[in-house]
Amino acid sequence: MALLKFDRVSKRYAAGHEALTEVSFEVDQGEMLFVTGHSGAGKSTLLRLIHLSERASRGAVYFDGLNLSRIDRRGLPKHRRRVGVVYQDHRLLMDRSLFDNVALPLIIQGVPRGEISKRVRLILDKVGLGGRERALPIQLSSGEQQRVGIARAVVAQPSLLVADEPTGNLDPGLSEEIMDLFAALPSQGTAVIVASHDLHQVKRMRKRVLVLDHGKLIDDFRPESVRPEAAPR
Amino acid sequence: MNAVPKKKPEAAKNVAKRRGPSLAERLNAWRELHLFSFVSSFGRIVQRPVSTLMTIGVIAVALALPLCFAVLLVNVEQLSGAFRESREISLFLKPGASAESVQNTRERVESDPRVESVVLRTPEEGMAEFRQLTDFAGALALLEENPLPAVLVVTPKPSESPLELARFFQEKAPDVDFVQHDAAWRARLSAWLEFGHGLALTIAALLGLGVLLVVGNTVRLDILSRAEEISTMQLLGATDGFVRRPFLYLGAWYGLFAGLLALSIARLARSALADPVAGLAESYGSHFSLQGLPGLWSIGALAASVALGWLGAYLAASHHLRHTLPERD
Repeated sequence: MALLKFDRVSKRYAAGHEALTEVSFEVDQGEMLFVTGHSGAGKSTLLRLIHLSERASRGAVYFDGLNLSRIDRRGLPKHRRRVGVVYQDHRLLMDRSLFDNVALPLIIQGVPRGEISKRVRLILDKVGLGGRERALPIQLSSGEQQRVGIARAVVAQPSLLVADEPTGNLDPGLSEEIMDLFAALPSQGTAVIVASHDLHQVKRMRKRVLVLDHGKLIDDFRPESVRPEAAPR
Repeated sequence: MNAVPKKKPEAAKNVAKRRGPSLAERLNAWRELHLFSFVSSFGRIVQRPVSTLMTIGVIAVALALPLCFAVLLVNVEQLSGAFRESREISLFLKPGASAESVQNTRERVESDPRVESVVLRTPEEGMAEFRQLTDFAGALALLEENPLPAVLVVTPKPSESPLELARFFQEKAPDVDFVQHDAAWRARLSAWLEFGHGLALTIAALLGLGVLLVVGNTVRLDILSRAEEISTMQLLGATDGFVRRPFLYLGAWYGLFAGLLALSIARLARSALADPVAGLAESYGSHFSLQGLPGLWSIGALAASVALGWLGAYLAASHHLRHTLPERD
């Protein structure tokens, strides 16, 4: 069974703008894929439907076999604990230390303190920020802040990680570092969906690519089928 | 194109490793979360001393008003207690009645089955008492004769109505000149005290509502200033309870400190009035002194204050959280 399934999903906003139209695709456990398309193509809307910042107008989104439209207020936190999110603007708590930021999902889930300390130090080491637990986010560069955001998103070992333009503000070198961090996650059982308009990065990673255009899914490239000349432009 | 990638064995192992913490671990984490919220909410109060003091001051004044009123009622009740509970009837015998006549009347009254006891106060005893209680000792010494009558102080049996017995003696006892039993005055005093209780409760309820609004508004502003943080926590899977908890402790802290301040204000007010009231009472020959709130009342007031702070925070936080759900189309 697919971890995530979009079944003819449409999203229409109150003003009448249709951000997604009849979008269908599936994502398996431990799979990594990119969602690309021009600005306003519906990439962010698609991600928001996954972690239930918004709900679909038509069609159904299934996560681990559960129709997300059936999740009520009580079930929402449980679903969100299974989906890690990385934002372009990091959304870090600027008055909290790196440790406190990364520990937040574990605190929310009621993980014991000793376990939190162990896991946070481990993940900060993995993203190259070991030893800087007490620093405040404002003392870090944008790339380092993004790494903290990634550490926070994966520290609770979610089933799925969604990242909305995670390298949008970073230089190419840092972007590659961040993408390599994402690429390591599927081996730990976490599926990854990255929304990006950075085609250079998308091509470099050689992963599955969903291409959106004006809210419609116009292409679904698999790694084996992606050739430089056929890659999304 | 749509071939499903095979799940890697390592990934499968990691998925299998994902199991939730045990019940004991969860309980421990829950306790730690409460402790963290308890301490961190106190930290937020300390971080903003000026606004905190103003908020606590407003709440304390609102709470102090009904508390001071309660202090007043406690003292009036104490002062009036002896009068209200008194069942004694005073039979003033006709002036100039002989000692034998007085004794006969006393025996007759004592033999009434509705009477529990009778105490005779002779004119001499009355005069001596009068001299002790007033500043007219000099003037009284000028009197050639004692103008005071003999008085029989009658205590009816508990099952008897003092009012009916007073009427009986007034009408049927020929040697009795005047019967005193201030039933109307006592009824009026009781009615006033009842009214005072009602007024105190009404004022307390209205000001309690004010406290709710003050705490609610303060917490609402705090929530708005932390809206982004709350939103981030919700996106990370925080439940409503998790988000609400620090604000509940914040409201409870406001209530606790405001309650303590209100009790201090009431105590100060009592202290400021104690000497003047004692002086006034002494001028009437009384040893009455102004009492503070009983200990249980103080604890109750403090508990009510904490509860109001908690409730105000709960209402404000719940109102905010109700508007943070993804909308259904």
